[in-house]
Amino acid sequence: MFLRSSAIGLVLLAATAAQAADFKWASTTDPQTLDPHAVNSAPVLGFLNNVYEGLVRRNQDMAVEPALAVSWEPIGDGEGWRFNLREGVTFHDGSDFTAEDVLFSYERASNEVADTNSWFAPVKEVKIVDDYTIDILTHGPNPIFPGSIANWMIMDSGWAEANAAALPDKDNGNYATLNANGTGAFRVTAREPGLRTVLEPFEGWWDDATHNITQAEFTPIQNPATAVAALLSGDVDMINPVPIQDAARLKESDEVEIIQGIEARVIMLGFPHEAEALKYGGDAGQPNPFKDVRVRQAVAHAINVPAILATIMRGNAEEASQLVSPAMSGYSAAHADRRAFDVDKAKALLDEAGYANGFSFGLKCPNDRYLNDEAVCQAVVSMLAQIGITAELDAMPVRNYWPELREDNYDMYLLGWSPGTFDAEHPIRFLVTTPNPDKKLGSWNFGGFSNARVDELLPLIQAELDAGKRQAMLDEVTQIIQDEQTYVPLYVQPLVWGTRNNVALTQRPDNFFILRWVNVN
Amino acid sequence: MSDLTQKPAPAPSRPSRLAQMWDSDFAYAFRHSPVAIVALLVVLVLFLAALFAPWIAPHNPFDPATLNLMNGFTPPGQPNAFTQDTFLLGTDDQGRDVFSTILYGMRISLFVGISAVLLAMIIGVILGLVAAYVGGWVETLIMRVADVQLTFPAILVAMLIFGIAKGFTPPEYRNQMAIWVLIVAIALSDWVQFARVVRGAALVEKNKEYVQAARLIGRGSFPIMFRHILPNVLSPVLVISTISLALAIIAEATLSFLGVGAPPTQPSLGTLIRIGQGFLFSGEWWILFFPAVTLLALALSVNLLGDWLRDALNPKLR
Repeated sequence: MFLRSSAIGLVLLAATAAQAADFKWASTTDPQTLDPHAVNSAPVLGFLNNVYEGLVRRNQDMAVEPALAVSWEPIGDGEGWRFNLREGVTFHDGSDFTAEDVLFSYERASNEVADTNSWFAPVKEVKIVDDYTIDILTHGPNPIFPGSIANWMIMDSGWAEANAAALPDKDNGNYATLNANGTGAFRVTAREPGLRTVLEPFEGWWDDATHNITQAEFTPIQNPATAVAALLSGDVDMINPVPIQDAARLKESDEVEIIQGIEARVIMLGFPHEAEALKYGGDAGQPNPFKDVRVRQAVAHAINVPAILATIMRGNAEEASQLVSPAMSGYSAAHADRRAFDVDKAKALLDEAGYANGFSFGLKCPNDRYLNDEAVCQAVVSMLAQIGITAELDAMPVRNYWPELREDNYDMYLLGWSPGTFDAEHPIRFLVTTPNPDKKLGSWNFGGFSNARVDELLPLIQAELDAGKRQAMLDEVTQIIQDEQTYVPLYVQPLVWGTRNNVALTQRPDNFFILRWVNVN
Repeated sequence: MSDLTQKPAPAPSRPSRLAQMWDSDFAYAFRHSPVAIVALLVVLVLFLAALFAPWIAPHNPFDPATLNLMNGFTPPGQPNAFTQDTFLLGTDDQGRDVFSTILYGMRISLFVGISAVLLAMIIGVILGLVAAYVGGWVETLIMRVADVQLTFPAILVAMLIFGIAKGFTPPEYRNQMAIWVLIVAIALSDWVQFARVVRGAALVEKNKEYVQAARLIGRGSFPIMFRHILPNVLSPVLVISTISLALAIIAEATLSFLGVGAPPTQPSLGTLIRIGQGFLFSGEWWILFFPAVTLLALALSVNLLGDWLRDALNPKLR
């Protein structure tokens, strides 16, 4: 009996040795959907970059490189771009990749029900030239277009139509929410939302695999301390993020490594610009004070960002003055100062606006999306209390959070924005221009901020080829955003990943975790 | 009562009420049980500390205007690096004094615990009495429901009720309602104990002569149940409610720990432990340690008191 069981033990041991490249990783947020066009958020796009591919992709240094397109060139005098597609590429289910799928994915991703449709605001038309050539015509010259579609993932038209998923459904979900069929390096073999997602390498991938993973399993772990414990015990090989407070201690451990960088993500507070009345707190139903620019400025003066960075972020983040971090192109160096922390000034502004006795409202906050998001919101509550305005905090998981914001259920909210194009134009297009579903603009401008000059400048910025003139226009928009206090930018979020020390990987500043760069030794 | 006050004060032959109590079996058992004495002392100290929290606590942690974020993560008894302020048990991530938050958090824990037990007791006693007295299909129905509920863990039932209630409350009232929903959820998961014990005791009582006598002179069912039977089944109820209090406090802490209980701006002990758990690996042990020790002391001493009460009131063990 004893002999037999030890023999089984040996077999098991041998089995684990053979699967040495099994890789497990954990993150706070489960990708809400496997549909690459349903939700435009980093956890979804980052995860699906392992499964689906775009015409172009970003490499380890964020530079654009060919993926499903082998090359591209401008058409005529800024009329658009011609993409020459890769031949011999197959989807996970074996069907061939052709220009048909690109056109289908364009129609799917740019449809008004798709969350990604604002990516295609500059696009006029998509035309198939032949099976492996496609023209994307733009409204005007668009020099940054190829770089702006790295996250536009191509879906198989036949598969989507056969499974009644020709359009994304972000609210109710459909077949593509739970299943995936891309051309990427990994295919999804099991998907249990909120529990685990299993990926296996796709044998028929067109590119050479540089990883040594045989199976990868993703588990969402909402509690950061639990995630750290799982990493330390070896239950998972990688966690993202490492709680900022634990980074210093984990660095001392021999078994794990901390990989740290500055993320492109700016954390900010958003306001309702259109709502007539407050919705929460003691003053629910009263006129919305945040329509007054002085109240918004008072909020900006009331937030002691250095204190948040020193305590909650443990000195691992940088103050933000605008909607992009200094590392992004188009950052406005002329507007690098944020409103100083000044309680008296904040009170004076409130007084001027007629709110000397303060008011009460509701602050919405995610509790599993950004580093220490709930703690930051609590700190905001106590800082606002010091200028006499009472915020009632409602923190919730991100899967409930976006729907609440989309339904305008907030009086103030916390948002983090990472420009997918690594350019200052991106947040203007999504967060600042007047929401316009037809033109696919302002899709994340929940508060409905509207400024005619910004709306006028955006297309000019998009079409401008001269870097100096472009920067001047970006500076002007930044000035408007700061004066109007459209948002209160707080800080640039740090990027802290933790791995077992036998794992080699690449950390990209957009916080995308790309499995094909992982090697388990 | 009246003859006592009319008589001249020193009455050597008849000891006073207090002295009578002091000499009773019950008090004798108490005096000779060091565990019970210590447990009662701990419970009393914690109850009083919670009751008088606004006067004892150095500041009100629920008033965000008084917090200074720069005081965050101050170790116990040491001055803060930026503000030089010192805190007896240190501060948490928001710069809240841990000692004050524990006092205020204990208020919420005890309030929720006691209210939940009272509610559970009322529901359980009524249903248990009715089941025993009425009998028939009413008894079967009540006791089978109780049996079915017993097969689920209490915390699961509480979470279920909490989840459903949260779904039905409009979002703007959720924070205010959280505490009440918590009370109802814990009470509804706990009434079964009371119902079963009361039914068992009442089944014995209902066939005794005094009940038959009361029936004979034509008293109604309700007076018989609540005036005659109830007082005679109260001592097991007392034992159960003490033990239930400890369970209710732990249930509240568990729910809050899981993030479905008290809101973070109004932390109970469980919420404090949840917050502190995030700093376990980073060296700020005091944020977790002190609330956890307080919860342990509270639940343990209430439980020990309940155990002792059960033994003291059980004639078989005397």
